[in-house]
Amino acid sequence: MAPNIDREAEHIKEKARKDLLALLENVRGKKNLVFSRDLPGIIGLFVGFSTLKEYGVEKVFVLENGNTDSSQRNIIYVVNGEDPATVQAVAGQVKQLQKNGNVEHEVTIAWVPRRTLVSNKILEDEGVLGDVNIQELQILFLPLENDLLSLELSNSFQDLYLHGDKSPIYLASRALMQIQQRHGLFPRILGKGHNARQLANLLVRARKELDADEANTPYTTMPSTSIESLVVIDRDVDFATPLLTQLTYEGLIEELNGIKHNKAEIDSSLLGAAGQSRPSGAGLATAPSTQPSRPTLKQAVQLDSTDPLYHQLRSVNFALIGPLLNKVARRLQTDFEGRHKAQEINELRDFVNKLPTYKEEHKSLALHTNLADDMTKHTRSEPFNRSLEVQQNIAAGTDPIYQHDTMDELLSRDVPLPTILRLLCLESTISGGLRTKDLDTFKRAILHAHGHQHLLTLSRLEKMQLLQPRTSASALLLPVGGGSTITSTSTTGTKTNYGYLRKELSMIIEEYNEQDPDDISYVYSGYAPLSVRIVQCILQKSYLQHLHKSPLPLTPSSTGWSGFEDILKSAKGPTFNVVQKPTDEKASKAKNALVGSGGWKYVFVMFLGGITFAEVAALRFVGRKLEEGGQRRKIVICTTGMVSGRSIMEGVIEKKGLGSGIKVDSGAQV
Amino acid sequence: MTSTNPRAGWEKIGTEFYRKISLYTSIFDPDLDLSEYVVSGAPFSGALALYRDTTKITRYRSNVANKSSIDVYSCAGKLISRINWEKGTIKGLGWSEDERLLVVSEDGTFHVYSGLHGDFAPFSLGHGAEEYGVHSVRFWSHGFVALLKNNALVAVSSFDEPRPRALAAVPEGEVHAWSLIPPAYTMSRSVEVLLAMQQTIFVVDVSETEDRGLTDGPFKHVSVSPNGRFAALYTEDGRVWVVGSDFQNKYSEYDSKAKTTPKHIYWCGNDSVVLAWEDEIHMVGPNGAAAKYYYDDIVHVLPDIDGIRLLTSETCEFLQKVPDESEEVFKLGATSPSPVLYDSIELLEKKSPKADENIQRIKSSLPEAVETCIRAAGQEFGHALQKQLLRAASFGKSVIELYSSDEFVDMCETLRVLNAVRDHTIGLPLTLTQYNQLRPDRLIARLIYRREYLLAIKLAEFLRLPLNKIYVHWASQKVKAASGDDESIRDVVVERLKGKSGISFEAIARAAYDEGRGNLATSLLNHEPRAGKQVPLLLAMEEDEVAVDKAVESGDPDLIMFVLLHLKQKMPIATFFRLVTSRAQAAQLIEQSAHSQDKELLKDMYYQDDRPVDGSDLLLEEAMDQPQIQAVVDKLKLASRLLTDAKDPNAVMHTKSLAEATVLLKMQESFDKDITDNSGSYVGLSVNETMFQLIRSGYSKRADRVRSEFKVPEKTWWWVRLRALVAARLWGDVEEIGKNRKSPIGWEPFYNEVLSAGNTRLASSFVPKCTTLKPAERVEMWVKCGMVSKAGEEALKAKDMNTLEQLRDKASGPQLTEVERMITQLRPRR
Repeated sequence: MAPNIDREAEHIKEKARKDLLALLENVRGKKNLVFSRDLPGIIGLFVGFSTLKEYGVEKVFVLENGNTDSSQRNIIYVVNGEDPATVQAVAGQVKQLQKNGNVEHEVTIAWVPRRTLVSNKILEDEGVLGDVNIQELQILFLPLENDLLSLELSNSFQDLYLHGDKSPIYLASRALMQIQQRHGLFPRILGKGHNARQLANLLVRARKELDADEANTPYTTMPSTSIESLVVIDRDVDFATPLLTQLTYEGLIEELNGIKHNKAEIDSSLLGAAGQSRPSGAGLATAPSTQPSRPTLKQAVQLDSTDPLYHQLRSVNFALIGPLLNKVARRLQTDFEGRHKAQEINELRDFVNKLPTYKEEHKSLALHTNLADDMTKHTRSEPFNRSLEVQQNIAAGTDPIYQHDTMDELLSRDVPLPTILRLLCLESTISGGLRTKDLDTFKRAILHAHGHQHLLTLSRLEKMQLLQPRTSASALLLPVGGGSTITSTSTTGTKTNYGYLRKELSMIIEEYNEQDPDDISYVYSGYAPLSVRIVQCILQKSYLQHLHKSPLPLTPSSTGWSGFEDILKSAKGPTFNVVQKPTDEKASKAKNALVGSGGWKYVFVMFLGGITFAEVAALRFVGRKLEEGGQRRKIVICTTGMVSGRSIMEGVIEKKGLGSGIKVDSGAQV
Repeated sequence: MTSTNPRAGWEKIGTEFYRKISLYTSIFDPDLDLSEYVVSGAPFSGALALYRDTTKITRYRSNVANKSSIDVYSCAGKLISRINWEKGTIKGLGWSEDERLLVVSEDGTFHVYSGLHGDFAPFSLGHGAEEYGVHSVRFWSHGFVALLKNNALVAVSSFDEPRPRALAAVPEGEVHAWSLIPPAYTMSRSVEVLLAMQQTIFVVDVSETEDRGLTDGPFKHVSVSPNGRFAALYTEDGRVWVVGSDFQNKYSEYDSKAKTTPKHIYWCGNDSVVLAWEDEIHMVGPNGAAAKYYYDDIVHVLPDIDGIRLLTSETCEFLQKVPDESEEVFKLGATSPSPVLYDSIELLEKKSPKADENIQRIKSSLPEAVETCIRAAGQEFGHALQKQLLRAASFGKSVIELYSSDEFVDMCETLRVLNAVRDHTIGLPLTLTQYNQLRPDRLIARLIYRREYLLAIKLAEFLRLPLNKIYVHWASQKVKAASGDDESIRDVVVERLKGKSGISFEAIARAAYDEGRGNLATSLLNHEPRAGKQVPLLLAMEEDEVAVDKAVESGDPDLIMFVLLHLKQKMPIATFFRLVTSRAQAAQLIEQSAHSQDKELLKDMYYQDDRPVDGSDLLLEEAMDQPQIQAVVDKLKLASRLLTDAKDPNAVMHTKSLAEATVLLKMQESFDKDITDNSGSYVGLSVNETMFQLIRSGYSKRADRVRSEFKVPEKTWWWVRLRALVAARLWGDVEEIGKNRKSPIGWEPFYNEVLSAGNTRLASSFVPKCTTLKPAERVEMWVKCGMVSKAGEEALKAKDMNTLEQLRDKASGPQLTEVERMITQLRPRR
């Protein structure tokens, strides 16, 4: 029997935990632990700091801070080895330890997620390779929820589209290979976009190499019986969606506060009494905080489905949060008042037993009420609403020229740079670029408003094709569905034509039931994310047909992309469909017959370059609809990391200014 | 091996039986004088390594070349290979579990020979070994410990990536004898060493040295049992003590009454100790009983996991405790069911009816009897006995109803394998216990080392094991040894391996390359399906371009980076760039890593690749790190200079902006000089921020200069001025502006900004100016300023009765009267 796929998330978490603890156990005695910067948060997803203590960890440091002390003989580095600069830093520290220690240190390095040739070479060149124990800690996918597996790469978006660094694709292929090795091949790999195609190629190649290695398990020679397909979406097929402001509760927390590894840093004033006793999730943060001390204290709050209230709220459009919280508050009140009705001793006992639950619920309610209230301050502000209006107008396809005045005004009013950049990029993405004249004017205005260092910011956005001039040539290149004469399934669009797709895939839903939405578009208050619509092309063909006025070339038995091939030619990159055949046809048939076809089938949806919380909500919505429609299919969402317009801009915007290096002797700045 | 007497060579020691089995005879060349040699045998009846003992004076023989070598033989005396040794005095010669030969020399180096044929990797012990020299070495299945002449102990616990580690310090003084407990059997999971010093034993591990407090030393020998639980100590007065390895209990004592100290003490299995002199062996069983064996010539004792091998020039023998099942079947006068079953075969052959009688008598315990016979068959070396026992089992099981033959079939299979490898041409006299612990796949590996490919393939097929490694090894040997031209060898290899899965052509190609056949290697490498595997070899072969391409093809960023790092070190930079820039993914990786580590390289790259805008961006980044304004300006100039003649459409815009930035910095510098109040430095602010700060601090003239210098659009200017004035609460100035007839941004912002700053009076003055708004909106504006009557007027003008009535609810005092008046005014006359 194949391992139970229902519990894949649990399995992954448990394995990561075991591997890390085994690593600690193998180094006897007390030890200091050094993480590379990206890791403490990730590690926090599957093991708590107190557990580390139980395994003899005395102190935890962050590599980049360079403050690792030599108080312990045993030092374990748990470091991401994919980046040569980090490896170099480790080598430097080890050398330092060797030099100044009066104790002889026992150094262990665990490379995450694998030991690389480059790390070997660097350690060898530095002359420390022979002096350290080297291990690897294979952490690839980590479950953020049971249906959401993430590589938690914080920079996958920038890596892929700014630096052209394909590492996220490679790591994704390794992570997906692990799934295949446990559950069998994805019978079908469907995808959209250049990077998606590359990922599929890597998967096909990796299977061949496993064959050659004879490292294949029974599962890698046969298509899985529990998985239906893998759908890969390249983020650059749909840049517009993350540029829009997410309007689900969770999405909006991300936009305003930021959520990292299921935790949000929240003003402790908002936590009130609720937050004090809540265990601070950032247990690993014993290393000195990297942030300068701020007047308001922030506290990390765990945001995941362990909090039942949050589970209920996360996917809801923010407009409905107030009433919902209200309802919960009233229910809690009546439940609690119920104690007066308790007459008998056993009734009273029941009530007392429930008390801790009430307490928890109450705390959580207080937290979310305060948080939502605080967020409302932002959502009611004029600039927020002006920019939201511009976003919605552009997304709906009105001529963006009409939005320029508002954008100009926002610039002059000194709204934060990310807000304005998102609007410009959104316009550029959706309408195939800005007129050169307008673009230059805006660029100038941005440099004037926010400083000339943002010449770099603008260069980066252009490199990512988020901000582009509309040349007559590029306007011509905008592919329009249907007319193309190319017959291959891998028809390539050079840019996504939102104008055409908006219509064909009914991406704007003007009227919808707010209370009980019937379309994914509720997550952006009327705009259905293209990325998820593309997934629906595979999973909900008849629903899209229902939205589409004229008949599509569909039959009830259509699978894969069929029915939508022509339409999808208007989205960027190739559309493909790879069928993975069993090495041994007969054995596979026999196995299929044995398992039968009654069980649940899983569809893995992989977002390369990151997914937004709103899209996650939309995909979960699709999953629920499938279930309600009697289809025995479940969606597992995979991604290289969570992404949002906020995080994209944060990664792109130049942080230094032209005066950064200059030592000023006069007092504080404005 | 033909003896049919099952008890041949049995010896009773105390209550236990031991047996000595003759494995092979006439094994060595009679000229070979074993007494001159140090011999070491690999575990699991593996190969023997012979090395001439340099401490002994040898007979000079003219016909023997005086070249020193380590000779590797099979147990049957077949020479497998001869390894030249010119690397100094050998202080330790041992084997790992996977038949790697380990040679430790006095100067602190050690060589790991894998595959029995001279392929080696040298390592250094470090920790002062070079300086002090190695005294002696003890081995275990996966590692060894070296005792240096200064009493330091160095442990190596892996041979793939040996990392010599010093153990805790040991007191000075003479080490009489020593031994070790392998990590698998210690509490600490790291190796522990037992040192016999002074009158006691010291136990040493990584962190500490502990005196066990014994007083009966000095001990001349220390030996630890294979399972690590017992230790045998040999005292000066010729006694052997068997104690627990924790030195808590003493289990037995034996007085050898010998005048000379034995050469070695070994364990035979876990329950008896062997004392070995040159030509005499004492076998001490539990409770101090002993048997003695005498030889005419020198005998070498080679301990194994379940017994010991005894090697003389003529014979190779195996000494072990008689396995329980064999004892049960063969013990004289036994009455248990299995001997009865065994005897009945003989009766059956004689067609005696007693055979059936016997069977009926033991019928109730027949299954156990069958099982015992099957197992006993596995313990036998002689084919005749094996057959006889299996026949008995077969006879027995035919009587039992419903008997599962699995065990019987498995044993037959196993015996076929064992007999095949025990043959003297192969010389692997494995016992069943050894075979089970070694496992079939490693047996196949041993056959491969011996280049017994045919047998290996046949056994692998028989045991349903993968064949790929055998083929690869065969092919590697083929390309090394074959003398034909490259094409024909390649054809032979490729033809033979066609359609086989799991073939690593990379390994074969590497063998060809190591042999100096580059072309052959290249053509073989083309058959390797795994791009990643090809890369290191391609690099070694200096096929640089192909290596980069294959790395890119693999999609593995690590591999690509590895190749690039390698090439960057060895190539002229221009060639390197040419190689890289034509491959997008490679170029991007270099760009990314250079950005954080080597900016100069990146500048060169941008220059060579004609990317002036990127080059200029890089200089702009550098500008931001400069500590003085002049330095910033200089960098900006450099950045700008790069862009002259650039064809990039962005270049114009960049050049302009850089120029602007320079001018702005200069202006800001002069502001900082002129303005000495504490409004802060201007350097580094944006144009808008500069204007804002100037206005707020009351320097509107200067702000205006900035505005005209940078041609700030009218609207922006109005906004910035408004915000700055409001921020500074310069209401007079706001009022002054309000006297303008027209505002490019309309008057609403004025109302909003002023209102949110709390000045309702001033805010209200802008309401009438907002002529483009609807009356209702203006009503709202008035109300926000608290001027309900004004709002009423607005509503009155618009003849909006509803609004008026709403306003009435908000109003109080005189305003209420006003509103009511208006309502009356508007109310239609009756």
